[in-house]
Amino acid sequence: MLCIDGLTVSVGAKAILNGLDLEVATGEVHVIMGPNGAGKTTLANVLAGHDGYDVDGRVTFDGLDLLTLTPEARAAAGLFLAFQHPVEIPGVGNMYFLRTAVNAVREQQGLPEVAAREFLTLARDQMAVLGMDPAFLTRFVNDGFSGGEKKRNEILQMSLLEPRLAVLDETDSGLDIDALRAVADGIERLRSPERSFVIITHHRRLLEDVRPDRVHVLNGGRIVRSGDHRLAVELEASGYGPTLAAAPA
Amino acid sequence: MTSLIDIVSFPSRREEAWKYTPVDEIVASLRDAVAGAAPPVSPSTVDELAGDLGCPRLVFVNGVFVPDASDCVLPDGVILDLTPGKRQRREDVDGFRALNNAAPTDTANLVVRADVAVPEAIHLVHLSAPSDLRTVSHPRTVVDVGEGARVALVETYGGLPGPAFTNASTTIRAGREAAVDHVRIQSEGDETVHVGHTLVEQGAASTTRLTSVMIGADIARHALDVRLAGPDAGADLDGLYLPARRQRHDNVVTVDHTASGGRSAQRYLGVVDDHGRGSFSGHVIVRAGTVGNDATQVNRNLVLTKTAEADTRPWLEIFADDVRCTHGATVGRLDDDALFYLRSRGIPVAVGRAMLIDAFIREIVDDITDAALRSHLANVMAAR
Repeated sequence: MLCIDGLTVSVGAKAILNGLDLEVATGEVHVIMGPNGAGKTTLANVLAGHDGYDVDGRVTFDGLDLLTLTPEARAAAGLFLAFQHPVEIPGVGNMYFLRTAVNAVREQQGLPEVAAREFLTLARDQMAVLGMDPAFLTRFVNDGFSGGEKKRNEILQMSLLEPRLAVLDETDSGLDIDALRAVADGIERLRSPERSFVIITHHRRLLEDVRPDRVHVLNGGRIVRSGDHRLAVELEASGYGPTLAAAPA
Repeated sequence: MTSLIDIVSFPSRREEAWKYTPVDEIVASLRDAVAGAAPPVSPSTVDELAGDLGCPRLVFVNGVFVPDASDCVLPDGVILDLTPGKRQRREDVDGFRALNNAAPTDTANLVVRADVAVPEAIHLVHLSAPSDLRTVSHPRTVVDVGEGARVALVETYGGLPGPAFTNASTTIRAGREAAVDHVRIQSEGDETVHVGHTLVEQGAASTTRLTSVMIGADIARHALDVRLAGPDAGADLDGLYLPARRQRHDNVVTVDHTASGGRSAQRYLGVVDDHGRGSFSGHVIVRAGTVGNDATQVNRNLVLTKTAEADTRPWLEIFADDVRCTHGATVGRLDDDALFYLRSRGIPVAVGRAMLIDAFIREIVDDITDAALRSHLANVMAAR
């Protein structure tokens, strides 16, 4: 589904990703761990189409040349990024935003629009599952939301957009137990043989609920080690030190 | 007219209140302009240009009242008189207002009797219908709102295609404890030069909400003078200006606190696109000997391109000690992070930009209480 081949990313003279390779097959859940500054968020942003980076290399997504697509075309193709820091947009109602997003993606996919009433039912159902108060629909996008509420709102968007590939950038950071469980449940419910995940995290806690197929360690702008779910356990016990010391510079 | 235009004196850009306005260009177009007859205009054309608000509507074309396009059944307690008898006072009259005063225009003189709460809005529509030559009109509106009366007024300036010059004058006098809601929409054709002046005189404990929306014309200037002449009067002054292409929209607002206990709040928002230029000059005067006045001023601008320009100028003259006065101005760009967030959810860039612009101006649009007017405004803004 996702094939990253020799991805090099820099901002000005500063290299952030240095020839990163990663392949995610359909239905797989991959986890990317790594120390701060390793380039994890940059990878997520570049996949979603954030400009402001000098990008080289090749990324294909379902056979599409991802790097040539606009952010909205990537979303329409089935890519979703759960932001590490979801943006507050005062003045734009959350309900209006969610429905505009869903219908924009549907339009680009050649599907009919979802009517307002039907969408409201859909959104309320998903919110109930995520333990979100329906009042969040009438508020402005992420405006004044707590950290946990913002992350739940990301999972709500993911649930409504039903992407083929979801990239979750530290969606589990800074969450209390309940919010963490809601996020994990949200991921587990969407998990399917047709859908893949790339989960960027610092913590093993999420992985107790969401068992990954592969775990990768990103450092210095490339993947230095990969393994199965046991790698996350090992990293939590020993830290990144031994892995990074053993990896080729 | 030709002789009068040579006699009157026009302001110059050296004057503070005309600093941002290309007054020479404006005067040159005025000199070239000719008076126009009033061609027939159908109600459906008026609907299109000014909106159908479902309330009494008085239509003037090139300064001439057009009964056939109007709905003149006014609510009880509201009286219309078209004779050009009452005019703005002669103080502070510049060349534009002198020409307006002298023009043989059908004047919309409205009187709202004391203690009448007018149940529906009154819509005043001023249209220009240009010929091949630049056609000038001098719309004139005078509204007297009696003590304790309440009324909502909508003034729309629009036009058929072609070169026009609109030199508009509006006077609103709000008596003691009167309440006036006034929305002024300038959505004229893109070859129009618009110079407008609105004078609001408020009696004791009267309240006004004065909303100015500038969307159309090529060069447009609107001066709003509010005089809080009686004690404990309050005024909310809202403004939106949306210059795009090569449009210029200048707002010059003056609030004069001549009595004690007054409250005024200026809130003007600008969205400037393409090569547009927008300006806001907000003048607050608090006179000596007054106490307990409260004046606020906010001006925020969203500049959408590198070639767009927004100028903001607060001008506070405070001659009293017991006063609260605040002001703040910003000029910023569209939030790139917010736009990326929307796009990452599949929302096309043009839609995302429109959502963020709507979000920026919505605090003012949402405070327009008339739903039909909000809907008309949304259509006009979408058609830009």
